[in-house]
Amino acid sequence: MRNILVTAAIALAMAATAVTLSQTVRAQQGGSARPADLSGDWAPDRTRGGMGQSLSLSDPGGRKRGNEDDIPYQPWARAKTLSEKTSTGPDAHFDETTDPQVIYCEPPGVPHIYLWPIKMRFVPTPEAVYLLYEIGPFFRVIWLNAKHPEDPDPQWWGHSIGHYENGDTLVVDTVGFNDKTWLDQMGHPHTEQMHLIERYKRVSPTQLELDMTIDDPGAYTKPWNSHRNFAVSNTGFMRYQQICSVRENQKFFDDVGKPAVGTLPRK
Amino acid sequence: MTVRNVKSVLLAAMMLAVGLLLVSNRVFAHHGANLYDMTRTVMLKGTIAKFYWGNPHNEVTVDVKDEKGNVAQWVAYTEPPLVMLERGWTRKSLNFGDEVTMYIFTARNGATVGTLNRIVLKDGKELTAYPMPGAPAPPAK
Repeated sequence: MRNILVTAAIALAMAATAVTLSQTVRAQQGGSARPADLSGDWAPDRTRGGMGQSLSLSDPGGRKRGNEDDIPYQPWARAKTLSEKTSTGPDAHFDETTDPQVIYCEPPGVPHIYLWPIKMRFVPTPEAVYLLYEIGPFFRVIWLNAKHPEDPDPQWWGHSIGHYENGDTLVVDTVGFNDKTWLDQMGHPHTEQMHLIERYKRVSPTQLELDMTIDDPGAYTKPWNSHRNFAVSNTGFMRYQQICSVRENQKFFDDVGKPAVGTLPRK
Repeated sequence: MTVRNVKSVLLAAMMLAVGLLLVSNRVFAHHGANLYDMTRTVMLKGTIAKFYWGNPHNEVTVDVKDEKGNVAQWVAYTEPPLVMLERGWTRKSLNFGDEVTMYIFTARNGATVGTLNRIVLKDGKELTAYPMPGAPAPPAK
């Protein structure tokens, strides 16, 4: 009898150890939860807000640019925003825009890329989730089971690490951005201090939601939040390569933009 | 304003099909705000002179002839191919010489350029581009 009890105790201890080890391994492999199924092509959900122009939840159309009540600007960041000439939106000045994406074909970065009419696709692997975008074409690497470098080089897409939560959410933590991109179409700036948290949650088989927290003590007085809705798309991925070309942009401006600028010359 | 452009504006006025509506955020998703009048469309009948299918925007060039036989060339742009494919367009949707009726948001300064709202082919097939202000974007196909 005593031997049976000892054997049972040892078995229980081994089982408990195995569970703990399993949880540890799962945590190292991207969190305590099972991987979220984010498969599918995801497009801005036109029935739930679409793309919009601004990350401001109170002013998605960009009509109150620089004066949104949910963006805690530092004074310089507000002034910088108001000094920019946007290429779209209610106060667009396409002919004299300062949008670096338009004039230099620079990458939009994140979260600005979510203000474009394009689809994205998640490609999960054991070591990383790759996020593919139809524009660029650009992709991001979300490293699982990883830490940020101590002193990351500032770069266009930053350094991203991620983990899963609740079996339906991918949490992405990004630092190491450069300060060259706009946060959205409305010219909201950020600095190299930006720390971005993204939470991608599949809320239904056909709907994906993204909650974002923008924490940039170099530009804003406190962290602030934004949100995007996506719908699954079955129309195909990358049916056309949306590549930015300074030469093609110039052609467009010469053909359609320039004739519309100013008053027409008299003969 | 040049004589040619005066004629163009008069021509446009003759063929005007105007819908004054409230301007939505959606319409501002492109470059129209300061250059084009996004509150109304102008209807023009003509023939396709050129169809550029490419980034950053497709361009539809149409020759529009007035009653005296004077031809004005109009250029209207759409969203890029990636988006227009979703709306059923292809690079072969429009061909040289096609007779079309197009509805465009025209340049505020009277130039013969604008933003394409929609285009109707001779057989009645309609291709949509930028929606009218306040209207939802066309569904993906």
